[in-house]
Amino acid sequence: MNTILGLGFILLTGLFSARLINKIRFPAVTAYLLLGILIGPSVFNLIPKDVINASGLISNIVLGIIAFGIGQNFARDNFRKIGKSVIWISVLEACGAWIFVTLVFLIILRQPFYLSLLFGAISSATAPAATVMVIREYRAKGNFTDTLLGVVAIDDAWCLIIFGISLAISQAIYAHMLANFFLIKVFFNSILSIFGAFILGGIVAMLLTYLSRYLRTQTELLIFTLGFVLLNIGIALWLKLSVLLANMFLGAILVNIHKSSFNFFESLKTVDLLLFLLFFVLAGANLEIGILGKLGLIGLAYLIFRVIGKMIGAGIGARISGASRSIKRYLGLGLVPQAGVALGCALIAKNDFPEVGGMIFTTIIATTVIYELIGPLCTKYALQKAGEVLIGHRQNI
Amino acid sequence: MQVKELMSEEVITVKRCTTLKRLLEIFNKFHIFPLVPVVEEDNLLVGIVSFRNLINVFQFPQPEILKAVPFLDEEEEDIFKVEFTEEMGNLVVADDIMERKFITIREDASLEETYKLMKLHLKEEFPVVDRAGKLVGMIGIFDIIRHIFRQKGVIK
Repeated sequence: MNTILGLGFILLTGLFSARLINKIRFPAVTAYLLLGILIGPSVFNLIPKDVINASGLISNIVLGIIAFGIGQNFARDNFRKIGKSVIWISVLEACGAWIFVTLVFLIILRQPFYLSLLFGAISSATAPAATVMVIREYRAKGNFTDTLLGVVAIDDAWCLIIFGISLAISQAIYAHMLANFFLIKVFFNSILSIFGAFILGGIVAMLLTYLSRYLRTQTELLIFTLGFVLLNIGIALWLKLSVLLANMFLGAILVNIHKSSFNFFESLKTVDLLLFLLFFVLAGANLEIGILGKLGLIGLAYLIFRVIGKMIGAGIGARISGASRSIKRYLGLGLVPQAGVALGCALIAKNDFPEVGGMIFTTIIATTVIYELIGPLCTKYALQKAGEVLIGHRQNI
Repeated sequence: MQVKELMSEEVITVKRCTTLKRLLEIFNKFHIFPLVPVVEEDNLLVGIVSFRNLINVFQFPQPEILKAVPFLDEEEEDIFKVEFTEEMGNLVVADDIMERKFITIREDASLEETYKLMKLHLKEEFPVVDRAGKLVGMIGIFDIIRHIFRQKGVIK
């Protein structure tokens, strides 16, 4: 199969498999991943090599776009609207998973620190698609539902920051394991990567704002926005800064300095679905089935302790912010699914740490599929326990 | 020429608490797809409602915050089959469905700039606000085109 035929095949099968899986009420993401695994080299081997080799390119672009969109959360008036509980719970559930998974990998599984830290950071991500789908399906309403929606919406912003910091530390440890002034170098590299990303995002946002006055049509707006996002990703890669943070800062600064910045974000919505589809199918295709068998304990530990970390973190956050009893107890259960951001982070880790990358990536993709399948059940249980589902009043539309 | 010299100052507005039923009655009076500004007591512009937002009534309310979230599946609602009761007409209010992020034009903006923005954002009409963000009028693409024809002497 040639490259173009391969792309056409992926787009069309992706589109229809998402429709199909929607009928049994799973998010499209699950369909794309399963499709990728099926048509990838591990099973039917239907995707051309050239397309698989382009995974890194597509994932960097997609991650840049995702991070840019997530930056919108940092609009000045947004935090006031979101409320105290959501901020406390989201920060602590993300940090809970991060710390818990890192410690379990380091102490119980005796993995190297940089690897444990990467797994921990990836585990802080949560995918909202499945959770939102369950909430919509059962028409859940109330305080618990509102808090849960707020937490899943903002969680990925914290994950990007956590992953940015962890990646910088891991890279520094990995590169300078034998160097003198070890700690100083680790600290210096991490600070440089994060502040550099901030400065880059700021400069690009200002340039974008200045030049936007010359735009005349919607098509120009799309080309302009995509061009700037790609420019920012490219410069971040070139200067070895964090791509995720640079783009998140670009979005975050833009939303605060441009009066009608929402247009830039909206314009990308016309192309992002196509890129997301390719990204997820290729992520599925990158699963190395040979490694899967060896994962056993690592996969299981990740699967269990990520959820425990999130539940404990969410519980503490709820206690600090004085949230209701059901939020303290059950909110963590709505945070089980992981998808795009976790896979994206895993792909970055795969590129940056070739020796362990395959293992990280295969673990994340296998656990993603499991989480996506059990996540909706956990969310449904949590909503029922919180008393915000009216069973029997489900609308069949 | 500035927008304030050409805009219509008589604008039909609604409040956040205006019901769906009332909105539909107001919309019925227009011959085109209307854009109705939502204002606070002091005329501060807080939202706009168009026929697109009316369709949102059939969808499960999606908080503003989820708009920044990637990979969400679009919710498909079949508006021909959806269950909708009569009392919803009084229960749903403008605040539930209005657009909170939208383009406004300042009263001292030039007509050229306004026309350019209409073309860029594919909009036929913009609410006009003063320095404090209070609604002072509406300007439509037809107001501008008519002004040009008048300038050329085609109409008096």
